[in-house]
Amino acid sequence: MKLTELFDKGEFVITSEVGPVKGCLRSKDGGAVPQCAQEAEMVRGHVHAINVTDNQSAVMRLGSLAASVRLKERGFEPVYQMTCRDRNRIALQSDLLGACSLGIDNVLCLTGDYTSLGDHKSAKSVFDIDSVQLLKIAKGLNEGRDMMGNALTQSTNLALGAVVNPNFEPLDLQLLKMEKKIEAGAEFFQTQAVYDPAVFERMTKKTEKFGVPIQYGIVIVKSPQMGKFMNENVSGVNVPDWIIKEMGSVSKEDRKKKAVEITLKLIREIKPMVQGLHFMPLGWSDIVPIIMKAL
Amino acid sequence: MIGTTPKPFEEISHALKGYEKVAVIGCDGCAKVCMTGGSDQVSQMVEKLKENSKNVVFALSPERTCYVDKTKAALDPLMDKLKSAQAVLVLGCGGAVQITRQVLENYGLTIPVKVGLDSVGHIDTLIMGELAIEQCQECGECILNETGGICPVTKCAKSLLNGPCGGAQNGKCEVDSERDCAWILIYNRMIALGESDKLRRFMAPKDYSKMAKPRRLNIKERRVE
Ligand code: SF4
Ligand code: SF4
Repeated sequence: MKLTELFDKGEFVITSEVGPVKGCLRSKDGGAVPQCAQEAEMVRGHVHAINVTDNQSAVMRLGSLAASVRLKERGFEPVYQMTCRDRNRIALQSDLLGACSLGIDNVLCLTGDYTSLGDHKSAKSVFDIDSVQLLKIAKGLNEGRDMMGNALTQSTNLALGAVVNPNFEPLDLQLLKMEKKIEAGAEFFQTQAVYDPAVFERMTKKTEKFGVPIQYGIVIVKSPQMGKFMNENVSGVNVPDWIIKEMGSVSKEDRKKKAVEITLKLIREIKPMVQGLHFMPLGWSDIVPIIMKAL
Repeated sequence: MIGTTPKPFEEISHALKGYEKVAVIGCDGCAKVCMTGGSDQVSQMVEKLKENSKNVVFALSPERTCYVDKTKAALDPLMDKLKSAQAVLVLGCGGAVQITRQVLENYGLTIPVKVGLDSVGHIDTLIMGELAIEQCQECGECILNETGGICPVTKCAKSLLNGPCGGAQNGKCEVDSERDCAWILIYNRMIALGESDKLRRFMAPKDYSKMAKPRRLNIKERRVE
């Protein structure tokens, strides 16, 4: 099902992210359930859809499309993430046709992390097109033509999502790009991780008039070390001191409980400003249901 | 200019293995500015080769080794010595090496031409003798008029045309925290020019066929063919 149908009905849309395994998924029956499917199982019934990352952080692994299809077979609604880093305009369009043919309904169009951040640092980065152009091209495929204007035998029918980073300075430049994404075809947005409701408010004051649904992006800080690591190494994210301190104030065993508490506090403040939540639990998918039940 | 860096001497030594009589050709154009292949670096290379028991038959630095005529003019008077060389080492960009090979072929000489430098692209000198940076990738369709004279194709790590990715932090690029985010530079420049609204326009995907290699420039007609 397309997430846009849910937004249109006024649903508060919940998604959670999984990263495909580094390996193949040849047999879906027998053998151990792969990590990404296990994580999806943990949030079953508590989220509307599962985002499937595309070689996240430029680390080579199972493709997002294959993992999305496998999750769909298990009864989940995947949001197929697609980046511009590894494929040119021919491959991207072809994969969008492939995604729709294989039953995918939702695509999240991103620029992608740079190659040098990952585990194949010497790879040639593609970036033939950017995320705004990808959205426009995907919209064209929905309307029955490729980017060169050639007719398709059958149009795609994909809900098109995009991302925005509310932490970005200068914010107006980020929002300028957000508007371009909307004009190009973005129908919903998921945000980068935000830990300060004031930052969110600053953005939503300006984005309300855009009239597109926004899901609050949540990266669960699992330890004080992770908070510090994110501040030093993950561009465009700021984990405030109070979170690092609170996570450090409890024993290791109690960290999940603390993370639930902190996340709930943030969600309660930010919820009135958004149309949904997007969890990026990074292995802690088991706390998503706890958070959702408590909301 | 074309930026170059020296190859490790071991690599050059390896390339020249088995050739005793060697000619060294530098370049007093870009390689001189990069301090990798000008007359000074050619002299230093000659010394090193001699220490490594090579017989240097001649050494010189044409004004611009990537111009066929200038390289030929420098080599014409040295024909006899050139004929005795078993290999030619060029301290110039990849273009200089290939022009030298071309000139030798035009003379009817089949002498191996070896490269002593690594070429690192079209580079602009900011501080003479200190710093040069890459600012243009010769995309064949310049968009500097739309971007405040700052090139996103080259200066943005991802060559984004419609605004920044989400990764810039404190004005720096997510790929290299020492480097300014090109899109923040463009934005600030467009604001200063009072033209930031122009950035709202959708920029279509680039026509990369204009960069299809190898390009040929018809200089007479001033066009790429
Ligand atoms: S747009 Fe950039 S790469 Fe293309 S010609 Fe202009 S400066 Fe060079
Ligand atoms: S941070 Fe800026 S320069 Fe670096 S890749 Fe992103 S948009 Fe380009």
